Amino acid sequence: MIVRYRLLLIAGVVALIATDLMGMAIPWLIKGGIDAIIGKGGVSPSLIKYPLMIVGAALLQALLRYFWRMNIFGFSRRIERDLRGEVFAHLLKLPLAYFQHMKTGDLMSRLTNDMQSMRELMGFGSLAIIDTAVIITGSLSLMIAIDPVLTFWSLLCLPFISFSVRFFGNRIFQKSWDVQQHLSLLSTYVQENLSGIRVVQAYAQEENQIRGFQRLSAEYRRKNLWLATLWSVLWPLMRIFAGISAAIVLWLGGRKVMQGAMTLGEFAAFNGYLAMLTWPLIAVGHVVNQYQRGAAALSRIIEILDVPVAPGYRESELPTPTEPIRGDVEIRNLNFSYGDGHPPALRGISLKIPAGATCGIIGETGSGKSTLVHLLLRLFEPPPGAVFIDSTDVTTIPLPRLKAAIGFVSQDIFLFSDTIRENILFGYRDADREALEESARIAEILPSIRGFTRQFDTILGERGVRLSGGQKQRTALARAIVKNPPVLILDDAFSSLDTETEDDILNHLREFMSKRTTILISHRISTVKGADMILYMRKGEIIERGIHEELLNRRGAYYRLHQRQQLTREVDEMPRREGPR
Amino acid sequence: MSETMHPEDEIFGKFYDARLMGRILRYLKPYWKLLVLSLLFLVLYTGTLLLGPYLTKIAIDQYISAGNLDGLKLVVMAYLGTVFLGFFFLFGETYITEYTGQRAMHDLRTQIFAHLQKQDMAYLDRNPVGRLMTRTINDVETLNELFSTGVVGLLGDAFTVFGIAGAMLLLDWKLALVTLAGFPLIIYLSRFYRRRARDVYRESRLVLGRLNANLQESIAGMGTIQSFGQEEKAYERFQGINTDYRDVLLRGIRYNALFFPVIEVFSALTIGLTLWFGGRLILGHALLPGVIVAFIQYIQRMYTPIRDIAEKYNIMQAAMASSERIFALLDTEEKIRNPLVPKVPRQFQGAVEFKDVWLSYNPGEPVLRGITFRVEAGEKIALVGATGGGKTSIIAALCRFYEIERGSILVDGVDIREWNKQDLRRRLGLVLQDVFLFSGDIAGNITLGDPRISEEQIHAASRRAHIASYIEQLPAGYREEVQERGVTLSQGQRQLLSFARALAFDPRILILDEATSSVDTRTETLIQEALKELLKDRTALIIAHRLSTIKNVNRILVIHKGELWEEGSHQELLARQGLYSRLYELQYQAQEHGGNGAHSPVG
Ligand SMILES: Nc1ncnc2c1ncn2[C@@H]1O[C@H](COP(=O)(O)OP(=O)(O)OP(=O)(O)O)[C@@H](O)[C@H]1O
Ligand SMILES: Nc1ncnc2c1ncn2[C@@H]1O[C@H](COP(=O)(O)OP(=O)(O)OP(=O)(O)O)[C@@H](O)[C@H]1O
Ligand SMILES: [Mg+2]
Ligand SMILES: [Mg+2]
Repeated sequence: MIVRYRLLLIAGVVALIATDLMGMAIPWLIKGGIDAIIGKGGVSPSLIKYPLMIVGAALLQALLRYFWRMNIFGFSRRIERDLRGEVFAHLLKLPLAYFQHMKTGDLMSRLTNDMQSMRELMGFGSLAIIDTAVIITGSLSLMIAIDPVLTFWSLLCLPFISFSVRFFGNRIFQKSWDVQQHLSLLSTYVQENLSGIRVVQAYAQEENQIRGFQRLSAEYRRKNLWLATLWSVLWPLMRIFAGISAAIVLWLGGRKVMQGAMTLGEFAAFNGYLAMLTWPLIAVGHVVNQYQRGAAALSRIIEILDVPVAPGYRESELPTPTEPIRGDVEIRNLNFSYGDGHPPALRGISLKIPAGATCGIIGETGSGKSTLVHLLLRLFEPPPGAVFIDSTDVTTIPLPRLKAAIGFVSQDIFLFSDTIRENILFGYRDADREALEESARIAEILPSIRGFTRQFDTILGERGVRLSGGQKQRTALARAIVKNPPVLILDDAFSSLDTETEDDILNHLREFMSKRTTILISHRISTVKGADMILYMRKGEIIERGIHEELLNRRGAYYRLHQRQQLTREVDEMPRREGPR
Repeated sequence: MSETMHPEDEIFGKFYDARLMGRILRYLKPYWKLLVLSLLFLVLYTGTLLLGPYLTKIAIDQYISAGNLDGLKLVVMAYLGTVFLGFFFLFGETYITEYTGQRAMHDLRTQIFAHLQKQDMAYLDRNPVGRLMTRTINDVETLNELFSTGVVGLLGDAFTVFGIAGAMLLLDWKLALVTLAGFPLIIYLSRFYRRRARDVYRESRLVLGRLNANLQESIAGMGTIQSFGQEEKAYERFQGINTDYRDVLLRGIRYNALFFPVIEVFSALTIGLTLWFGGRLILGHALLPGVIVAFIQYIQRMYTPIRDIAEKYNIMQAAMASSERIFALLDTEEKIRNPLVPKVPRQFQGAVEFKDVWLSYNPGEPVLRGITFRVEAGEKIALVGATGGGKTSIIAALCRFYEIERGSILVDGVDIREWNKQDLRRRLGLVLQDVFLFSGDIAGNITLGDPRISEEQIHAASRRAHIASYIEQLPAGYREEVQERGVTLSQGQRQLLSFARALAFDPRILILDEATSSVDTRTETLIQEALKELLKDRTALIIAHRLSTIKNVNRILVIHKGELWEEGSHQELLARQGLYSRLYELQYQAQEHGGNGAHSPVG
């Protein structure tokens, strides 16, 4: 990345060095000017010569300065953008498990705040390093040229400066790290609180939450104050050292001028260089500091880049087959666990769904139904040799091909705060208006949309807050249908729908599903009973399988479930209305 | 993934706004004594700064040129004195300012947060989380910068510039006038720069806001992006904004790169002028040489603050804009406020009455139209009906999340508008249709950090919600970490947890909005059994689509298109042959006639 902009950087650095050298020349010219006035006496052309030279030098310097600013700062901003883009692209390929264990606020802060610190390191940091080096060597050599002994005395404070910079620098770094970290904590707290504000208000927990926030904020204040204390000692301390040096020069230099061992111009110039030195000397500490902060930020960014991408996104040499996916699904003895320490979520799953067939999955809460379909989609990586589509191991199917082939309605619906149209067309932007309306019709969301004033242009709000639970599900359903995929997976996609709507949708879908492999996960027997095969899952295993009638005849778990869901016509089973008390 | 703009984001503030400044200062009022002290320190510190070159001048003109070593010693001592005094003044000033600033910011931040807690849902629906976060965190940070470097720094800079100008005039007014001749031009230039810088600033804020919004949604919706294979598109979108951001910033660099060198040129020009004009004066014996040395030092010290002022302009403006947005937020009235003297029913029993209730989320589009019903204390009621009919909205109105448009809702005979909101809600145990879990541990999610709920109650509630056995087999049991939104739990487990939460709060009125829609039937039945006992003399409102789950209710309300369509017991409704009986028939058929009914997916 740096290589891409190296010319920019090199040109900038050269200009910066030239700027600094030019800056060094100006006190020298001032010295000449003063000496020309006092030394020689009598109006000479040199009276105008030095002022003109000063202005000339300043103009040249301004030009150079413009140039380095454009180059060096331009360099850092370009790097920032490229790196941010790269990190984002990397994020898009990370396994889903990564996002489940990182906080959104934390990741955001890395892509914005840390990026900014990194940019400052690249910009101001490189500026300060070069500046410091050039000015220190330049000023020092000129000072020595004027008077080596005076230079020695004036730099008496130097060890103190570097000592205190080191002393404070480390602590300041520590504290600012603390502060940064705490700020991220504070943001995350606010984010979660606002995302869950309905719960907070419904349980009248506002005071509780405010107290929690207050605690965090007070801690933040305390940390900030610590940092401020360090700064408010360090800066004035630097000034003291600079002041002592200046006093020494005034004393010793003044004496030398009295003795005639030094001209007044030299004295003034010496003072000028000393003043120039103070900043870089302080800056040494600053640079170390900024370097550390930038490095810390960079390491937080690199941390993301070091997370290996999900296996599916790794480059594969296998050629992409051109024929479309038919939709044969086969699973052979699949075992899966969410990681060490987690109990197995799936155990010895085997099944075969021929293309075009419908498979219903029913089962207990937490039995692994969602896990199973997540593996089919490679949202989590299945072990090799276990999950096959069209007799190809899914771990070898190129991801774009796999994802294009599967229409998925997740149990945990996420809608974007965009229009309904954009949300439905999310997975397939090329769909025309007809396809859009057709999928909305199949998903039974069209009547609702027709009811909105802005129709398909209705903005949904964050995560779709402006829709009812069932409307959200149906929008997600339409989003999967519009893709027109050979495999359709509905993970509990009717849980928030009334029977009538569900029935309508299933009727619309019948034709659609007859040509596609469909996996229907549900808790309602009525949803899956017509499927070509039904699996009953418990604790990560398939404990019963077969078609509806078979399963009923078996009088097992499925049968008992069926009994539980029975509605009875027997009138007296319904309790009578109890009168008011 | 739209990065929709909102009017408040367009606020960019002026450099200075007396009304706003007045309000900002109000937060500093408790600390005004300290502030006065810090201001005093600031003036004193500036004084020590000004004294330096003046002492140099005295040293040169009075002692060095006269060869008076003792005098020089005196001046050097005085110089050292100013240096040490300066140290204390500067330290005092910096520390006190920071201290008061931090205190005031803490107060402000807490106030904003507390204010947000009280907002009604309509407001919170409208304002994305990211934006409100920016208000509470980033805008306050910006304002903090105003305190720590802005106001005081600006005052300091202004003191310095005027002080130096004054000192120069005192030293030699003729030379000073020549030196200061370029001033008006500089002021003009800074104005020009400021305007440009402001435009860039304005744009960069807008683009950064879009960048943040996109980032947040992309990360939160990563599962959806990946399962639809939309990585490429998401990247393009992000990179577009990212590039815009870079380009705006690059433009900002250009203005800075032009302005700052030009200021330096002015500084050199002034020095040249001083040398030339001063030189002539000296040759004409109208000026002492020390004055020139002092002047040059003054000029060098003067241009730093001038440059700073231009830079601090950005801080000022950012702070003004931030504070305007903050105050706009604080000024949004609490739409749903508590009455001054809340009424408390004599006895809390749990009767609910809706009288001709109308509710609209968007004006003119009523979602509830004249809902009227009554629930006696201890009665169990089911709300059923087609999706989007308004069931959740009825609950939301009852909890006073949204203010109803017309009609009234009474709880135990008292209008909910006369209740204290929090008191009311404490009596209602609500399981929301959209489950939300906080990061933290399981126990914390059940109690929400309420210290009044004992460990015992947590366990009892979990047992009733039939999640206890799951929790207990986890390595850390009730202390097991829950991720943001509970993403590592199965959907049913999340629902059960939030069910347990409602039970732990032991409400008089239990409200279940599709509370077990993703839970398997066995568990659901077990929960119902457990609830039977618990709900004995409590009121319950249950929303469910699976009619088998409402077997135990006393009465059923059928909600359709925002109206109460039918009402009655199961038998009454069946006898009526209306909407309910149709729903019932459908479900009944679905279970009776196996794989060949109209409902069946594969014909
Ligand atoms: N990302 C994850 N990390 C760790 N454990 C997980 C994760 N997702 C699910 N689990 C656990 O794996 C088990 C199976 O979960 P899964 O979501 O597949 O269940 P399910 O059958 O879909 O349940 P439900 O009917 O409630 O939706 C559960 O015990 C759950 O807690
Ligand atoms: N926060 C909101 N802002 C704007 N409109 C809303 C909001 N919440 C709901 N609506 C609209 O109000 C209508 C009724 O929604 P509600 O959530 O009350 O339905 P519901 O009966 O609970 O449906 P479901 O069974 O699908 O949950 C819907 O058309 C919905 O789009
Ligand atoms: Mg699931
Ligand atoms: Mg609802």
